Amino acid sequence: MTQVKAWAGYLLPKLGQFLFVVVATYTLVFVLVHFLPGDPLIAALAAKGGASTVIDPAELDALRVQYGLDGSLWQQYFGHLIAAAQGDLGVSISTGVPVTEMIARAFPFSVQIASLALLFGVTSAVLITFLAYAAPWPWLRQLLLQIPPFGIAVPAFLSGLLLISVFAFSLGWLPSAGARSFDAAILPAITLALPVGALFFQVFSSAVLEAQNSPYVFTAVAKGVPPRRIFTKHLLRNAMLPSITILGLLIGYLAGGTAVVETVFSRDGIGRMTVNAVLARDINVIQGVVLLVGAIYALVNLLVDVAYGFIDPRTRIGGGIPSRARLGAKK
Amino acid sequence: MTNLRKPGFVLGLIIIALAIVASLAPQLLATHDPFESVATDRLLPPSAQYLFGTDNLGRDLYSRVIYGAALSLLSASLAVVVGVVVGAVVGLISGFVGGRTDFIIMRFVDVLIAVPGVLLALIVVASLGFGPVSLALGVGLGAAGSFARVMRSQVLRIRSEEYVEAARTLGVRSPAILVQHVLPNAARPVIAMAALELGTAILSVSALTFLGFGAPPPAPEWGALVSAGRDYVATNPGLSIIPGAVILVVVLAVNRVARSIGGDE
Repeated sequence: MTQVKAWAGYLLPKLGQFLFVVVATYTLVFVLVHFLPGDPLIAALAAKGGASTVIDPAELDALRVQYGLDGSLWQQYFGHLIAAAQGDLGVSISTGVPVTEMIARAFPFSVQIASLALLFGVTSAVLITFLAYAAPWPWLRQLLLQIPPFGIAVPAFLSGLLLISVFAFSLGWLPSAGARSFDAAILPAITLALPVGALFFQVFSSAVLEAQNSPYVFTAVAKGVPPRRIFTKHLLRNAMLPSITILGLLIGYLAGGTAVVETVFSRDGIGRMTVNAVLARDINVIQGVVLLVGAIYALVNLLVDVAYGFIDPRTRIGGGIPSRARLGAKK
Repeated sequence: MTNLRKPGFVLGLIIIALAIVASLAPQLLATHDPFESVATDRLLPPSAQYLFGTDNLGRDLYSRVIYGAALSLLSASLAVVVGVVVGAVVGLISGFVGGRTDFIIMRFVDVLIAVPGVLLALIVVASLGFGPVSLALGVGLGAAGSFARVMRSQVLRIRSEEYVEAARTLGVRSPAILVQHVLPNAARPVIAMAALELGTAILSVSALTFLGFGAPPPAPEWGALVSAGRDYVATNPGLSIIPGAVILVVVLAVNRVARSIGGDE
């Protein structure tokens, strides 16, 4: 019983924070869409039918009802919020398809390249850090440490187009576009992994190199522990905490980064759907996507907070998280 | 200036100087009219006459890149200015007033940071319409949250400094303390961060113009040049890769110089 209480005491405020971020994200988008100049529906219809589109007022009112853009701003604000809580994100103005349906169709494609990109990015960041750590010559170490800052400066469309022109057109190894096969996910994932890996590297390598100067590593070296073991046993473990924090932030980055990558590779997904929605000025879709991304971001950070407690015993004591040891002892 | 002895820093400065000249006086560097098409010279490879080759309409790519600098770099700079000004004002007020106001403002800043920058820029662009200025506002708003956080932490640090307490004891009013003591002392880290943000802003702006949200064609905006060349990537990859590489070089130069200014060496 006490464990349930302890978990509830820890998780409930975090859950409240989660709900706050989602509602606040929704509010921010709502304010931006409705308080910036211009009528969103007229803009969307003009984008659909050309700048000279003339709509008669009665028809416009009917369309407002159809897309949920009628009534006062307060009615719209709460109406959409309640509908969203029930899983209804409205109807797309440009395609007429329910937004939840569009998201459900596009989401798996984005998740596929985003998770592959995380895998590639994090693996290469850890590998480069280890090589830099174990490098016998200082110049090699300097060279390796220069790769990631370079990775951040490369525009995603440049790396994507380079990969296409080499691996798809010159060598013919991988497809340049589409989302049908697994092969088609490799090049987009590498493109996305470049900035993701570079951002992760910045945090990870500085945590590792900081731990490298600590007394316990000095002792381990003096005792003759092999470098590989020091890396996995001492350095990796201490770099876990900042790494998990940056992973939480990278999820948000990935959500934005897919827009360019999916466009370069002509791939279905959330990013490309968002770009098309902005081109069509389809605010219902934009609002739905932002709500989704905000929710994912908040959820990941909720998981990061929970993971913190398991990795670092000090946060457990301070934060009042029920420890595994305590849970085990009661059994 | 020990920085001037480092080759990377000097090279970065030279590239930035060239980019500034290209933005302010493109006719000094360009070799052709960026909008003039020569029907017989379409899709040519780089040569002495056409340094970067020509595009599908027979326009000189090099001159188009030079003329594109103004749009690309000015909207990136405007984005940084928007981010710094909005962020600094919010952070300054939040940190200086403190208490409940601070708490509420910072929760909104949290949300601003939670929404990915590209997405935030897309919302602003979708509401305001396409074009370099709304791009700059969108990208700037996306950066404002982090500036607000840094500014606030600086203000909190400075607020408890002895010279602020002394000024307060002498009866100086709050706004005067804010302007005369807090702002100048808090500015340095914010300026260093703004310099680093410029590289990110150039990348964000060119990504958004690549997606088609910038000035309408035939404006030679850098991201738009890459996008226009995309259809010829199988036969003439240089058409999109050269403008892309120019963006990369400028961003590397800006980041290199910014790191030296920030003293992060």
